[in-house]
Amino acid sequence: MIGALFVTAVKALVLILALLFAFAYITWIMRRGLARFQVRLGPNRVGPFGLLQPIADAVKAIFKEDITVAQADRLLYWLAPLLAFTFALAAFAVIPVGPDGWVVANLDMGVLYVFAASELAIYGVFLAGWASGSKYPLMGGLRSIAALVGYELALGMAILPVVLMAGTLNLQEIVEWQKQHGYFIVYQLPAFLIYFIASLAEMSRTPFDFAEAEQELVAGFHTEYSSTKFVAFYIAELLHWIVGSALIATLFLGGWDAPFGLPEIPVLWLFVKWALFIFLVLWIWASWFRTRYDQMIRFAWGVLLPAATVWFLITAYYVVKGGMA
Amino acid sequence: MSLVDLFLGALLLLTGFLAVRLKNAVHAALALAANFILVGVVYFLLEARFLGWIQIIVYAGAIMVLFVFVIMLLYAARAEVGADPLPGLKPLAAAVGVVGFLALAYAFAGVKAPLAAKAASAALSGGTAEALGPVIWQTWLYAVLLVAALLLVATVAAVTILRPGEGGRR
Repeated sequence: MIGALFVTAVKALVLILALLFAFAYITWIMRRGLARFQVRLGPNRVGPFGLLQPIADAVKAIFKEDITVAQADRLLYWLAPLLAFTFALAAFAVIPVGPDGWVVANLDMGVLYVFAASELAIYGVFLAGWASGSKYPLMGGLRSIAALVGYELALGMAILPVVLMAGTLNLQEIVEWQKQHGYFIVYQLPAFLIYFIASLAEMSRTPFDFAEAEQELVAGFHTEYSSTKFVAFYIAELLHWIVGSALIATLFLGGWDAPFGLPEIPVLWLFVKWALFIFLVLWIWASWFRTRYDQMIRFAWGVLLPAATVWFLITAYYVVKGGMA
Repeated sequence: MSLVDLFLGALLLLTGFLAVRLKNAVHAALALAANFILVGVVYFLLEARFLGWIQIIVYAGAIMVLFVFVIMLLYAARAEVGADPLPGLKPLAAAVGVVGFLALAYAFAGVKAPLAAKAASAALSGGTAEALGPVIWQTWLYAVLLVAALLLVATVAAVTILRPGEGGRR
């Protein structure tokens, strides 16, 4: 009992450190990548290729003055970044990075856990928006909730066909299923497309990044935050991108399974597929426009949700009729 | 009745009390969210795991988020509700609460659990979706459909009442 607990704690610690490291270098990849897309150079002064830039940024951010605005609701203003950061980190715990023991918590209802964590993470965003006692953050917070209501349904509906076909809510078993039968992106292409679009909103990345929308709302919900509290939000934001990409790779691209009969190496293959989605999102970010948030909500309710429902019914009929026994 | 049960019960009561008594609407909503999450934890302890997750996702996630959205929309940056719009109703509300509690207590006093707690946990078989599915979609299908119809009627009614013009009140 104590031993198992200790092993889990060590795994969790390793995962957290890995995620934070990933975060640090995602900022570098993001800035260099966006710069490449825009025919600029990006940060290249600190260390070779600017590789030490994240460390310089961290030092700078930590030594900034921590400001609390006069209108702020003290307790919630302090609690919001903590909530956002914690739930963003927690979501990764059930995503397997290799066979059997290569997961922090092999929950039998891992899909539900991820959903719960990603929904609770939104509390951080709108509490920040509300507790700042300022107009722009409030607008950002409201937008983020309106978006959540829109996309979360489509997201859930798009996962259901996958769960139905695999017959399990356990992420490890979903990967095992794909190892045997082939990846879900083949069987479930419509579900994959719906899920990908909806998860762009969940990560609040470009077509749907209106919760921050720097040209309209200064910085959206975290406008009034500075220093380490701002860093907590920044980490949470990018962690959604990191976790979302890993999740979509697990659900639709076979997770840690080695493609094309290549040798099985834990972590590596999930990393490769994950990097694919990270780049895809960056690409969209660099080359597309931002939708207005009412357009996005109309799109989520009017197109994504009906399409996901229809596809779910088709899959259900197929599975009931014997499916791929 | 273990120490954990007692602790959870105390926390449930505390968050419930805070949800009613806090002056600030957003604070009260957060207390209610904490209450919902604690109920989810109670479900986990009772081996009803699927129900526990659904409790957290639907209540603490979706429903509370809608609550807070409405509060933020109505009160914007000032969530101090301030003056009680219906003064003098508090004693009545307390009386109704006491009567409701007594009625519930009376109803539950007559209930004999069909299974002892241990056996019930075993019968739930971990409360997974596989165990719960047949119960909902076979044994109690009509009850579920009735509840669904009720919710739909409520939604349609709300939309009808709030529709501008056409006799509806804004």
